[in-house]
Amino acid sequence: MDWDRRTFVKFAVGAVIGIHASPLIPKFMDDTAIWTQNWNWVPVPEDGAVAYAHTVNPHTGTGAKAKLIDGRVEGLRAIRVEGNPNHPLSQGGVLPADASALQLLYNSEIRVTKPLLRNRSTGVMTQLSWPQALDLVAGNLANLAKNGQAHMAAALGADPSSTTGQILMRLMQALGSPNVAFTPTPRETMALAGLFMMGQPFLGFDLANANYIVSFGTPLLDGFGAPVAVRKAFAGWRGYPKNQARLVQIEPRASVTASQADQWLACKPGSEGLVALAMCRIMIDEGVYDRAIESAYGWNDADGLPGFKSYLLKNLDRAKTASLAGISLPKLVKMTLAFAKADRAVAVCGPGNSGDPGRLYDFMSVLALNALKGNLGKPGGVVAQQPLPLKSLGGALPEAKPPALAMAGRPFGVNNVHELAQAALAGKPYGLKTLILCGGNFVFNGPQANVMHDLARKTPFVVAITPYMDESAGMADLVLPSTHWLEGWGDSTTPFGSAVSCYGLHRPLVKSVDEAKDGGDILLALAQRLGGPVAAALPFKNLGEAMAKRTQAMGDFKKLAEASYWAQKRPAYGAMRFNTPSGRLELSSRVLRNLLSKGGRDADKTARALGVKAGAQTAFLPHWEEPAAYAEGAAYPLVMQAVPSLRTTWGDEAVTPYMVKILPDTVLANTDKLVVEMHPATAQQLHLQEGDAVLVESSAGSLTAKLTLYAGAAPGMVFVPLGLGHKDFGFQVAGKGMNFNRAVKVTSDPMSGMPIWELTGVSVKKVRG
Amino acid sequence: MWRKNQVRYGMVIDVDKCTGCGACAVACMSENNVGVLPDETDKIRSITWLRVYQIDNGKPFPDTEVAFFPRPCMHCQGGTSGAPGQAFFQEDTDPQEAHTPCVSVCPAIATDYDDATGIVSQIPTRCIGCRYCVAACPYHARYFNWYDVPWPQGTPRGLSPFVSPRMRGVVEKCTFCYARLQRAKNKAFVGGGKVGEMDYQTACTEACPSGAITFGQLQNPAHKVHKLIQSEFAFRLLEKLGTNPKVYYMSKRKWVRMMADNHLSQAKATQAAASGGHK
Repeated sequence: MDWDRRTFVKFAVGAVIGIHASPLIPKFMDDTAIWTQNWNWVPVPEDGAVAYAHTVNPHTGTGAKAKLIDGRVEGLRAIRVEGNPNHPLSQGGVLPADASALQLLYNSEIRVTKPLLRNRSTGVMTQLSWPQALDLVAGNLANLAKNGQAHMAAALGADPSSTTGQILMRLMQALGSPNVAFTPTPRETMALAGLFMMGQPFLGFDLANANYIVSFGTPLLDGFGAPVAVRKAFAGWRGYPKNQARLVQIEPRASVTASQADQWLACKPGSEGLVALAMCRIMIDEGVYDRAIESAYGWNDADGLPGFKSYLLKNLDRAKTASLAGISLPKLVKMTLAFAKADRAVAVCGPGNSGDPGRLYDFMSVLALNALKGNLGKPGGVVAQQPLPLKSLGGALPEAKPPALAMAGRPFGVNNVHELAQAALAGKPYGLKTLILCGGNFVFNGPQANVMHDLARKTPFVVAITPYMDESAGMADLVLPSTHWLEGWGDSTTPFGSAVSCYGLHRPLVKSVDEAKDGGDILLALAQRLGGPVAAALPFKNLGEAMAKRTQAMGDFKKLAEASYWAQKRPAYGAMRFNTPSGRLELSSRVLRNLLSKGGRDADKTARALGVKAGAQTAFLPHWEEPAAYAEGAAYPLVMQAVPSLRTTWGDEAVTPYMVKILPDTVLANTDKLVVEMHPATAQQLHLQEGDAVLVESSAGSLTAKLTLYAGAAPGMVFVPLGLGHKDFGFQVAGKGMNFNRAVKVTSDPMSGMPIWELTGVSVKKVRG
Repeated sequence: MWRKNQVRYGMVIDVDKCTGCGACAVACMSENNVGVLPDETDKIRSITWLRVYQIDNGKPFPDTEVAFFPRPCMHCQGGTSGAPGQAFFQEDTDPQEAHTPCVSVCPAIATDYDDATGIVSQIPTRCIGCRYCVAACPYHARYFNWYDVPWPQGTPRGLSPFVSPRMRGVVEKCTFCYARLQRAKNKAFVGGGKVGEMDYQTACTEACPSGAITFGQLQNPAHKVHKLIQSEFAFRLLEKLGTNPKVYYMSKRKWVRMMADNHLSQAKATQAAASGGHK
């Protein structure tokens, strides 16, 4: 056959008709659709029987409900974390950190699955078996103890009140080391303030029943206490057409809490305690404080009202104080009178915006204000929590002989992880040979991250017990894999500021990754290997057994574990018992006086040596002292404060990918740049503009960021988002922004001895970027 | 067009209770298997079915104030926009007026308006990725999968089997947690009852720690939302477009309502409502 033009056309037309008549085209289109939509890397989650189990997230205190699916191939797995509506504090609500917990649990790129030993010179990690790893740590500790150097081992933990924290404390104490410190929290500041003035370490605010709330610089809606519980109370304050309660926020920035408050009084940074004192003075001047308390508290000696009154009248001029705090006096007076008049008013103190544990005298001032309002033990006021019915893990252990690193000259022992690190780094009075990091990711969370980084670098042997390859694990010689809270046993105690005490418990709900063990189990196994007094101090097979012993008074352990919480039924209303030396509420604290003049010392000298500028007479009273950040000199003219957010961090857990995803570009700008806020006028003075790359530098560290101008930021300040800038935690979290805690300068509260870092003096310069 | 035997699901978000914590957004993502890209600061590519927007009143220090607007899909079906103070729900009978912006442009019927529930569906496997709907949506509630989700190793274990993970090249959006409605319907069918108010609640509603979100049937007097939308403080976003959204907001703060395009005076609003809201 000749291939002429006609044949070609016939063939072509025939082919076109033939192809169209065949199922080729629909088949090809169908295949294309399938091919473009069924990539093998698009996951197909396995179905199965659904079950729910209650638990409590120890990092947030949220009562949660895990949704579990039992698949035929993949086995039991968690697919969601929802709220537990029965939980008395969180009542079904969750936080971003709770709802996205699975992203950390199941990410095998960030989880530690086996004990790992690092070669310090090459950085290469080698897998060890559990017996090898435990022998290594036990051998190291036993060696120190044998040479009388047990005190040269230190341990840092996340939560001292958890059973794991208790085990860590007993382990170190039995070993003979006084050097144990934990993540600092406002619970400790509150306990000291409560003890000094009322002899009550466990105080809470009955927020749910209050109808006039004044919050002194604490991020009430951005991380105070158990955040969900505060929100539940907040929801009750709102209403239509009128709100049920009035919220007044005192702080320097138009934060979420300030914006949601009915009134925002912008004060100078760090002057919140001063405002509380000014309110006390106004209430006394106007005679609107609760007169009944004068006789009820037996307040007629110098320790009671008269001493405080004369201090206020002498030292706190209303107009001067208001201008010092940067608040208009008429506004303050009006607010104070409304506060005094309200039937269920409460003044609230708590963690600072930078996540610090608060200043002792500020807390005492706020408690004094509450006392003047006469709301102690009343609905909507300050109430004492019923102590949790928890048993001790064993008898008292002998005190370690060498002085603790963090206690230098203080009248009472406190937990100051920063002082411990600094003393160890300086080698005064001695350095460290071994450091155990048990949760808390101190190398990232600090509080002064660069100091913790140096400590981990300089200590010859560092052990990290952690579920993730986090910054602390990245510095450790030996990394021991611990369980995520959905995989293992653990507990948490009453959140800060809660009106009722509440114990939360979590148990293994899904199989743990590879070889991870509960943090407590690792410590107990270590104690067994050390033998002798250490093993005798911790005679438990595992953490579950230790928890069962500790919670004996809460009833059947199995039932408790299934319910996941124990809570005090209702706040303890009624006359508050004051366990002070005088048996009364002491505005001028005798406990503090006794401590300062212990052993016949001159109280005035002791107070001044600690850094209380006002001297002895005022040192026992709630008073105000200028924050250290003010005195940083001309090189650091601005004041830096953090912006806390439940979207970036809460607790010691890292941000999750979903939390990073929902950050607005006023926090994290394209591409992954940290954004800091400044008032437009301040920026103009510094010749800075919106979008400039800036270097924020303090005397302790620095960070670079993009600048945004925000009218709600107090002039003279720079505001930095908290909790970003991880180096690890996978490609969805690592390298996003910079770590606020690498720029802060941590100081110690003169009286409580707690580390504080609410404000840091900084300079801000434009840089190329 | 709504008939008596049909229901209309909708939502009321109390802006005065919202603290912008993002729990709703995260709960939504975990319920609906939304992925996370390496760079989520690129907001044009970032997929958030429910995005929390922040606004401020623009006043100088110390009178500055911020507020948050969680924005799911509005599940529009055009109709008479409710006047402020009498916000009620009414769908237009004229099919020309009663369209849903995204549905009317979809060439593949990958998105549709469900007359029985008032929910605007999204079927990713039908989507051809033309993105007309993304352009048509006045609320930016629709997102295109520009990339395959790079699930980190192990994380697919935490995915829910009730919502299919999407592939590259399709559009996705809030579906009012439709899988939850299906489950509630199944449960009601087996139990022989009806789907009650609390049987079907979206993930964001459940998660919100301050209870700012209320969800239910807008036309059912027994449901909380029905009462809430009649409040004088209730309003919707871009009401003047006449899209007739089923997501309402509430605020006592006037500046918040003003920003939400509800700044017409009472007289003008009534006039606008009477003329179909297209003024």
